[in-house]
Amino acid sequence: MNVEAITNLLAATVRLATPISLAAMGAVVCERSGVVNIAMEGIMIVGAFFAAIVAGATGNPWIGALAGVILGGVFSSIHAFASVHLHIDHVVSGAVLNILALGVTRYLMILIVGYPGTTNPVPVGLNEFQFAIPLLHRIPVLGRVVFDQTPIVYASFVLLVFLTWFLRKSKTGLHIKAAGEHPLALETIGVSVYKMRYLGVITSGLIGGLAGAYLSIENNVSFTEGMTGGRGFIAMAAMISGAWHPVGAFAAALFFGFADALQVRFQVFKILDVPEELFIILPYVATLAAVAGFVRRSRPPKAVGSDFVIERSDT
Amino acid sequence: MKRQRSALAIALRVVVIALASIGTVLYTGGYFPGGLVLLAAGPAYLGCVYVSAGADGVRKRLVVFARDLGTPLVAITIALLIGAIVLVATGFNPLVAYGALFHGALVRNWHISVLNASPVIFTALSVAFAFKAGLFNIGAEGQYYVGAMAAAWIGLYLPFPAIVSIPIVIAFAAIMGAAWNLIPALLKVRTGAHEVITTMMLAHTARFLSNLFIRANGGDPANSPHPYRTTEINVNTELPRFQQFMPEANFRAHTGILLAIVVALLVHYILTKTRVGFAIRAVGHNKDAARAQGISVAKITAVALLGAGALSALAGVNQVNGLEHRLLQDLQANFGWNGISVALLAGGNPIAIIFTGFLWGALDAGGQFMQRTTQITGSIVEMIKGLILFLIVARRHLFVIVSAWWSTRRRGARAIERPAMEYPRER
Repeated sequence: MNVEAITNLLAATVRLATPISLAAMGAVVCERSGVVNIAMEGIMIVGAFFAAIVAGATGNPWIGALAGVILGGVFSSIHAFASVHLHIDHVVSGAVLNILALGVTRYLMILIVGYPGTTNPVPVGLNEFQFAIPLLHRIPVLGRVVFDQTPIVYASFVLLVFLTWFLRKSKTGLHIKAAGEHPLALETIGVSVYKMRYLGVITSGLIGGLAGAYLSIENNVSFTEGMTGGRGFIAMAAMISGAWHPVGAFAAALFFGFADALQVRFQVFKILDVPEELFIILPYVATLAAVAGFVRRSRPPKAVGSDFVIERSDT
Repeated sequence: MKRQRSALAIALRVVVIALASIGTVLYTGGYFPGGLVLLAAGPAYLGCVYVSAGADGVRKRLVVFARDLGTPLVAITIALLIGAIVLVATGFNPLVAYGALFHGALVRNWHISVLNASPVIFTALSVAFAFKAGLFNIGAEGQYYVGAMAAAWIGLYLPFPAIVSIPIVIAFAAIMGAAWNLIPALLKVRTGAHEVITTMMLAHTARFLSNLFIRANGGDPANSPHPYRTTEINVNTELPRFQQFMPEANFRAHTGILLAIVVALLVHYILTKTRVGFAIRAVGHNKDAARAQGISVAKITAVALLGAGALSALAGVNQVNGLEHRLLQDLQANFGWNGISVALLAGGNPIAIIFTGFLWGALDAGGQFMQRTTQITGSIVEMIKGLILFLIVARRHLFVIVSAWWSTRRRGARAIERPAMEYPRER
């Protein structure tokens, strides 16, 4: 393998890791606020669908991406309402939302597009806005891998920095973390746990919507039913392997992206003479291995998945 | 006198069981008069209750029955109403749509409803079984593929007469499904890896491995019709079809549904009447209390996941040995997701799963029929399903919220934490 091939492999790693890293970072914010979010898969599907539809209708991929982000947020607010206000078990609510996402997108797909399956390609995809950052992209290998990418990939870098700062230094970020660690204490100092949890869930929905938009209008040019292919769950695994921290989640997502990139190359170049399915399952097996290996060392937020009830008494 | 009474009760019970089983066989086979037989089992059962518990017992039973039936019916009605609003808003006539939906689901294509229901009942039982132990088996889909592969593989080779080979097929598939779930079980017990992620990843793995399996067993991408398929299994490993003893039945309808109902009853028995079932429920309710009782939480966790794997694998037997007689490359099977819905809808109760499985199967069949006959998109059904599910899952809290909305307004808030309260501890 020469430098060129390695550079290509690493660039593909970053590209394929982007949806996972975005979803994983979203899930970090959500779970840090104390709400388990297995609905990431459904949020991504909704985001991908609306991004493709709006980008196709307006001809502008930026508006499409924005629509994906917003609808992802709207969709996740159902999860927030169900798990915070309705006190449904978070895992159950998330599973219901995943199912609902499949149903809603399929219904709207037939209604808007007219047939199930894959939408028409969008006129302009975000992949056409690939741009190299001046000077930095000249760095050997790293320049091509990191500084010559498409918009949402850059957005994931920005979010990585922002979320790390947000959860560590900002007041709101600390409040979100408190809602996940010790909600009663937070409520006692006069900050609404409900609000923080809503904020956490909806933030994850916005980011998940962006991850979906990446799949449908940046990494691809159309929406296909079920195109997330379990990435929402891989993102959960990345979040756990990354110890509920944005940086860790991002690193773990890169690992899964690498497995995916490797898989594609094995498949295309027929490096080994074995059936392609054995390569396709590589990212899934890698996820299994990572979860099995890392989970012991990572500690979930103390009150994650717990129900928080504000009782209104008459006295 | 007392002896006479108990003899009468036993006789009535036998009558109830006979009526119920005959009615079920007839009705699921598409003989609608069988429904009357099934209905007749109701009064017979009430008579049975009357003999042993008197009029009071009957009244109590009726109240419980009405309550159990009331909530789902209300949820279904509300969901259908909202669906009607969506239909009107998107320019369709809801009366025409629902007319076709019900006609297709319950009369015209009833056999498709039954065919849809049986695999979903198995996967739902699988999800519910794990759920009783507090585990979320989200990857039932993968265990279904493993069961289907096992059934399709052994079905190619078994030479014995049907009465011997069918139990072997069922046992083999169940064992393979359980073995597949050994991976998440071990990971859960040894490292604490969350089963939602491990079973989901294994589901994708199994899905792709099934393609490999199909190619290895007769599916040739070069000259086979589009969904690749394995070679057909031996006739003696096929589940009997209703047509073999009920000539009027649809030729595709097979007895897998009866197997599903029997397995549901069996799971109910295991969960409520056996030691293992008690341990599973204890672990699901409160791990610490279960541990204090001397129950090995790790062991029960593994048992619940293995059992769930075996139950999902039976869905594979149902599809391979009952319906298709070969394994197809089935991209949109979705039995895993539907199984979760059906199990949640039934609140994890195996008996209720039989009915919710039929509900789901009937909605799908009716949706297809509606789409074919009225050109109204059948996927409105997906939305109605989602709504029913949401209303059922959230019913208690929705009720609380709605009633709280009316009565109390904000008057001083007090915060409490529901799970065991975590007090800051000195370390």
